Amino acid sequence: MIYGLKKWFRTHAKAGEQIQAWMIMLPGLILMTFFVWEPLFESIRMSLYKTRNVELVRFIGLDNYISVMGKDDFIQALINTFSYTFWSLLLGFGLPIILAMLIGETTRGKGFFRTAVYLPNMLPGLAVIILWSAFFSGEKSGVLNILLSKVGIPQQSYLTRAEWVIPIIIVIATWKGAGSTALIYMASMASISPDLYEAAAIDGATIWQRIIHITLPAIKKLAGTLLILQIISVFQIMYEPMVLTKGGPDNASLSLMQLMWQYAFGGAMNYGKASAVAVTVTLILLVMTLIYSYLDRKESDWD
Amino acid sequence: MAQKNQRTGVIREYDMHSSSVRVGYGFILFCCAIMVVVCIFPLLWVVFAGFKDLKQFVSSTSILPESFHLSTYLTTWNQLGIAKNYLNSLISVIGSVASALLFNGLLGYGIGILKPKGHKVVHKLVMLSLLMPATISIVPLFMNIQKVGLGNSFIPLWLSFGANAMYVILFVQFFASLPFSIIEASRMDGCTPLQTFFRIVLPLSKPICSVVAIFAVNAAWSDFLLPYLVLRSGDMQTVMVRLFVFSTEQTVNVDDMMRSVVFSMVPPIILFFIFQKQLTENSVSVGVKG
Repeated sequence: MIYGLKKWFRTHAKAGEQIQAWMIMLPGLILMTFFVWEPLFESIRMSLYKTRNVELVRFIGLDNYISVMGKDDFIQALINTFSYTFWSLLLGFGLPIILAMLIGETTRGKGFFRTAVYLPNMLPGLAVIILWSAFFSGEKSGVLNILLSKVGIPQQSYLTRAEWVIPIIIVIATWKGAGSTALIYMASMASISPDLYEAAAIDGATIWQRIIHITLPAIKKLAGTLLILQIISVFQIMYEPMVLTKGGPDNASLSLMQLMWQYAFGGAMNYGKASAVAVTVTLILLVMTLIYSYLDRKESDWD
Repeated sequence: MAQKNQRTGVIREYDMHSSSVRVGYGFILFCCAIMVVVCIFPLLWVVFAGFKDLKQFVSSTSILPESFHLSTYLTTWNQLGIAKNYLNSLISVIGSVASALLFNGLLGYGIGILKPKGHKVVHKLVMLSLLMPATISIVPLFMNIQKVGLGNSFIPLWLSFGANAMYVILFVQFFASLPFSIIEASRMDGCTPLQTFFRIVLPLSKPICSVVAIFAVNAAWSDFLLPYLVLRSGDMQTVMVRLFVFSTEQTVNVDDMMRSVVFSMVPPIILFFIFQKQLTENSVSVGVKG
């Protein structure tokens, strides 16, 4: 049997190789279909149906969307999610670039700085959130309260202030993620030839001028890519507010994906409505990605 | 050594003659030191906090505990039965890494080396799924798993690591850098594509395999959303699932929870210190994860 197959493959070498190649890719393709591609389409289909547990009951068009979007918590979550994105860009976009530049300038201890700054990224995200919840705890034993009491700032309750929760969650996310992003920028900056700086220095360019005319242009493209990836990732923020504040106080930190989780697994088991939220998020991200690639192309045309 | 300490950045040796630049350089070092403290302090704090008992934890306004007795950690470990969760996490991690290497490696081999007719479509699809947010399809994915009867089992968790677009792309990029002549020679010698993969390609791909393995170990260890949905039964819960249950259902005291946080961070930190060189130097591809 095996011999027969081999002979068949040899005589049909070309076609056989094609089939063999596809057979090799098949397990991976099946898994991608089961875990990634099919759920995506199923998400869209399910959002158009009335569901009961895992069953699709009947087609109801856009009713799930209308019902979900008509609620106050959706509007609140939408605003919050944009607020997360805004704070994340404000606090988390420039910081890795600055860190990369600072570490890049050091002559001694560079390896140590790189290691230290990358460490938080290796920690489990859930553990990080719980760890920081003790920092921002409103009790007098909360770490921030202990530290700030030393400089005379009275005890505060940080996580119950609506205007503070989103920036606090972003600070935690930035603490975890900024170091690894900084290392990506460092790799990109390391590929700039020192001769370039040397030549600029000889021509009398100041340090700031060298940064503006050599360093920043060199990382511009990378920064654009990382910007869009950051937006995509922050837009899906979910477990951070879920664990830290449960979306509170009074939905002030509720995110869109958290709303999706609540519809699906928060007791209601309304998978149709959950999918409607998920598809909405996907569409918003898709539009933002398209706008970015349009602007990116337009800019390359100018160059 | 001289080579190592050379200035490679914006500031050149010649600038150091100016005293304002020297002050600036001192400021840079100061910033880096602050950065190290900010990165490390929370970790040290949580380890110290683990030595506090409940009364100290909620009322003491000191960073350091009153005493350093390991008994606090041991009591939590035994009372909550964390060993069981460690074992479950281990099972989950080992299967996930094996699956990540095998399935993504084979798919990458097909796209990057074998290139049958139509491979470009697959490549595009994989690239697109890289941009597609993973959590968005968690609901239908969970339903799929229920439908095929794989609830309460590690199998879906293992297999989910075999469908990782980023790992596939990493493999494809690495395979593209392999010398094609070696693969062609092995084909001429009569190796089937599968034999070529295991005998020629894999041995040459140790660097990328170790990178993917480190990522997969860390991701499998830290993952808790899908495991929480799939591993509903108590005796299969991994460390992270347990921690998630603690944090949402608030069934444990806060001091026990902080010690569980420490338990959950120990393996990644060990992994980090063993592989810190690979991790901090391969970051070109590391970061594209969000």
